[in-house]
This record gives sequence, structure tokens and C-alpha cells, in this order.
Amino acid sequence: MRIEKCYFCSAPVYPGHGMMFVRNDCKSFRFCRSKCHRNFKKKRNPRKTRWTKAFRKSAGKELTLDNALEFEKRRNIPVKYNRELWSKTMLAMKKVEVIKTKRQARFIINRLKKGKELEKAADISEVKKNIHLIKAPHAGQAKQLEDKMVQKLAEDVQMDE
Amino acid sequence: MGKSKQVGNHKSGKKKHIAKTWKTKRRTKDIDQIHADMIPGNAAKLLKQDVDYDVTGSAQHYCLHCARYFVDLKTMKEHFKTKIHKKRLKKLREEPYTQAEAERAAGMGSYIPAKTIEVHTQQVEENMD
Repeated sequence: MRIEKCYFCSAPVYPGHGMMFVRNDCKSFRFCRSKCHRNFKKKRNPRKTRWTKAFRKSAGKELTLDNALEFEKRRNIPVKYNRELWSKTMLAMKKVEVIKTKRQARFIINRLKKGKELEKAADISEVKKNIHLIKAPHAGQAKQLEDKMVQKLAEDVQMDE
Repeated sequence: MGKSKQVGNHKSGKKKHIAKTWKTKRRTKDIDQIHADMIPGNAAKLLKQDVDYDVTGSAQHYCLHCARYFVDLKTMKEHFKTKIHKKRLKKLREEPYTQAEAERAAGMGSYIPAKTIEVHTQQVEENMD
């Protein structure tokens, strides 16, 4: 039994699910659901369709380059059953899955950090531009006037001497 | 980078009955098939076809990239100047999508971004006789 991947959205296709289209040049395409098949018929490009895995990877939304991604592969050579190997593989699969999800989550968090920085910069520039809206027009002018008076008085005193 | 604004064809007066064009019966060549056609050996065969009276223009004027036959050289040259043809060339500049790429996107191996290929309109030989 093999769990295929959908041609369009890369979702797993379990036996008995989805459909397969065989083109007139014998090339076969598997689809997980009618939505993907319909989009294929319309000749849409999965790389440009926002909801597919191919889009998310090619647009840099998800982790693309990582050693944790190298374990799951299409293997065409059957391996002879060996209990020890089987149990070890199961253990390894669980461990790899944990590491993979952790790295993927970290990648997304790091990616979103940029947006937060930009948001902060935009907020600061907005406040700087529109400062007149929050600052009263005569704020601090009384003190300025007082300072001027004091200076003038001091000058006058100097002149008298 | 935003989402493309051009969505849907149903309301545009130009294309009527677009659902019919999606039927398997009227299926046109896919982009990856055209990429296979663009391989020099295959291209030479398609561009120099035998006279076939059942095909438009006796199969003498074929646009490789749009997979279309034309009645004569003049219409084909006109076609090369159109938006449809130029858009098709742009589409072909990207490496074709494959099942292997779908699997890589699903987490079976690291994802390799698509390469760009140089594509130009086919050369038309000018024979004046």
C-alpha cells in the first residue's frame, strides 16, 4: 500500500480516495479531491495558487531547506521485514516528526518577526508625522516666554551696571 | 506582492462558455507537454510536418508554444505579435511543475525552487518565391 501525494495540493491520497487522471500520453496525475482536479482542468499553476503546498514553499512561507525533511522519500526498493529494524524505524519516525514540527514552527515565528519590526517602524513614523494632533499648539510656550523675560531682565541689569 | 486582481472569466463578454473548454474532450496541450515539444528534436518534427489536409493550413504553419495551427504565414506572424502568444511565452519561462515537485512540497525532501528557462518565438524562414 502506498499513500500517494496529490499532484495539485500535495495532500496525502489514501487508497480509495480522490481520483487519477491519465492523460493521452500515459502520464498519470493523482488528485486528493474534486477541487484539485477542477483546478488542474482549468490549467492553473499550483505554484501560483495560494492554498497549495507548492505555493507556500515556493513563496518562502514554509521551511524548505532542512535535513529533517530528508527522511520521508519515495522508496522503490522493498525492504525485507526485520522486527528490530521495524521497531527502530518507528522510534526514529516519532523523533524526526517532533524535530520537524519544532523547526517548522520556529521558521514561521522567525518569518513573522520581520512584520512586527516593520509595524513598529510604521507606528513611530506615523506618530512623528502627526504629532501636531496630540500636542497642544501652545504647549510649553509659557515657559519659553518666562525664559525670555528672565534673559531680558538679566540683560537690562547688565546694561545698567 | 499582492494577489492577482484578474479573477474569473464568466462576466467578460469575450469568453463565452468557458466551462466547455475545460472538458477532457476539448483538452489542449499542457505546459509540460509543450516543454517536451520544445526539445530541439521534437521541435524540428513539429515545425516541418507533412501536408495533412485535415488540419488547419495543411499543418504547414504551427506555433510551437501555443500549440496552434494557422492558415498561412501572415496570420501566424500576426499571432506572434498578440498578447496571447506573449503571455504563453512568459508562462513557458518557468520550469514545468511535476509530481516530484508536489512530493517535495509535501515534505518528501527539501524543496528546490523552480528555474527559469529562456524561451523565444520560433524563427520563421523567409522564402520569397
